[in-house]
Amino acid sequence: MTFAWHRVIALARKDALELIRNPGAIFPAVMMVFGALFPAFLVIVVVPRMVGKTFEESGEFADEAARAADLIPELAGLAGNALVQTFIFHQFAVLLMLVPIVAAMALATHAVIGEKQARALEPLLATPISTVELLAAKTLTPFLFALALTWGVVMLYLAGAAVFGEPGVWRAVAGMRLFLMFGLLAPLVELASLQVSVIVSSRSNDPRSAQQITGLLILPLTAVFVAQLMGLLVIGPSALILTSLAFVLVNGILLWVGVQVFQRESILTRWTR
Amino acid sequence: MTSLVTADGLTRVFDDRVAVRDVSLTVNAGEIVCLLGPNGAGKTTTMRMLAGLILPTSGRISINQIEVTEVTAGRARSSVGLLTEAPGLWERLSVRNNLLTYARLHGVADADRSVDQALRHVDLLDRAGDVAGKLSKGLKQRTALARALLHQPPVLLLDEPTSGLDPASARHVRDLIVDLRSEGRAILVSTHNLGEAQQLADRIGVLKTQLLAFDTPRALRQARAGARVVIDLEGSNIPIEKPIDSLSDIPGIVAAIVGDGKRIVRVTPTERSLEDVYLDLVGDER
Repeated sequence: MTFAWHRVIALARKDALELIRNPGAIFPAVMMVFGALFPAFLVIVVVPRMVGKTFEESGEFADEAARAADLIPELAGLAGNALVQTFIFHQFAVLLMLVPIVAAMALATHAVIGEKQARALEPLLATPISTVELLAAKTLTPFLFALALTWGVVMLYLAGAAVFGEPGVWRAVAGMRLFLMFGLLAPLVELASLQVSVIVSSRSNDPRSAQQITGLLILPLTAVFVAQLMGLLVIGPSALILTSLAFVLVNGILLWVGVQVFQRESILTRWTR
Repeated sequence: MTSLVTADGLTRVFDDRVAVRDVSLTVNAGEIVCLLGPNGAGKTTTMRMLAGLILPTSGRISINQIEVTEVTAGRARSSVGLLTEAPGLWERLSVRNNLLTYARLHGVADADRSVDQALRHVDLLDRAGDVAGKLSKGLKQRTALARALLHQPPVLLLDEPTSGLDPASARHVRDLIVDLRSEGRAILVSTHNLGEAQQLADRIGVLKTQLLAFDTPRALRQARAGARVVIDLEGSNIPIEKPIDSLSDIPGIVAAIVGDGKRIVRVTPTERSLEDVYLDLVGDER
C-alpha cells in the first residue's frame, strides 16, 4: 500500500487536539523554556548588579571572550562590555537546545503511551493505516510543536538580548552560529530525541518512566555546556555543521530501529497487553 | 448466498504456542455468526486475523472477495468494521472528533456526513459534542460501534460487544446488531454469553484452539447432545427419559411403554440447552 499523507495528517491532527486538552503533557516542555532562558539573563543582568561592576570593569569572561573571537565570527568587531555580553549569550544559547530535546521527549512519550493507555491501538490498526504512516503521525505533531516552541524561545532570547544587552548585542547574537544551531542542528537533535522517545515508549506503559530513560539524552548537552563555561570548548560554525552531519547519521540509524520496533504484530500482541 | 468472510484452515502460532489451529468458517451476507469459546480459546486471535490485523501462520482468508495477504491486508481492512473488546476511544476528545479522525483515516469522502450517519445509526447524534471520557460504558460501546460503521463496511467483526454492559445497554447493542444484519452485512460476533449467541446467531462456532462445531443453534442442540423425550406415567413421580434422533422415534417409544401396560400422562420431547452442548464440547473446566 502506498504512503498516504491524508492518514498521517488525520492522526497527527488528532494528536494535536489531544495535546491541547492535556496540559500535563506540555508542562515539562514549558518548564524547560524557563529553565533554559533564565541562566543567561541571570548572569548578564543580575551578576553585574550584585558585584556593582560591569563585565568590562570586573574583567570576568573578558579573556575567554577575546579568545573565542577567532572561532565565533559574530564576536569580531565587538569590544568591551558588548563583546563579553555577546560571548555569554552565545555560550548560554547551548542551553536553549534543551527545549527541543525535552519538548520532543515529553510529547512523543505521551503520543505513544497515551494510545496504549487508551487501548486505542487495536482499533487504530484496524484502519488502512500502515505502520510507517503510524510512526510518521506519532512524530509529526510532537516535532512541529517542539520546533515551534524552540524557535519561539530563540525569539524570546533575542528579544531579551535586545532589552537587557548593550546596543547591537542582539544583532551579534542573531548570526550564522545561532542559525546553524537552531535552524539546522536543533531540528535534527529534536528528531533524534523524538525517535528515541518513541522507541523507549514502545517498551514502557508509563510516560514518566519513559521520560526518565530518554532524559539521559540531556547529559551530553549538559557536558558540552559545562565544558564551554570552563573554557575547555568553543563551538564554532564548523563544529555545528559536523555535529549536524553526525545527527543525520544518528537519525538514520534510529529510523531503522524505529521501523523494526513499530511492527504491526508486536504492537498488537505485546504493546496492548 | 454470498460468503463475505471465508477462513480456510487458519492456524496461528505465537513463538511455540498454537493459538488457533485449522479453523475454517464462512460468514454470509445478511448472516450473524457467533463464535463461542472459553478465555484463551483463540477467539480474539481469529478476529484479528479476519480483520487483517495479523496474518495467519498458515491457511487462507478472503474478506469481501479480497484474498488477505501482507500486500492486500490494508485493502481488506477497508471492508471490515472491527469492534474491539475495549472501546479504545480517545477520552479527551469529543465523540465527533473521535469519529472524524477514523473517517479521515478510512478516506471517507464526506467525513462529517458519515459521522452523522453513523451516530444516527446508534442513536447517539445528540451526544456528538460530549467528551468521550465522560460517557457511560454502554454509550462508549455504542460510539465504538458507530466507529466501526463509519466507512460502511460489508463485514463487521464484533469482539465481546456487550461485555460489561448493563442489561438495557446490552439489549440496545444486540438490537443494533440485528438491524445491521437486515442491511445485508456479514457479522461475526465473539461472545461468552450463550443466551446472546442463541438470540442473535444464525450459526454458531464453538472454538477451543480449533473449531469444535459450526452449525445452526438448533442443529447443534440436536446433533451434538441428542434430543430426548420425557414421558410422565400415571402413578409414578419418576419420568422416563429416552434419547431420540428425531421426533419420528417417539411413537415407537410410546407404543412400547403402552405395550408394557403402563398409562402415559404426558409426552414431552426436549432438546438440550446450548449451555449443555457448549459444556459437552469444551469440557467443564470448573
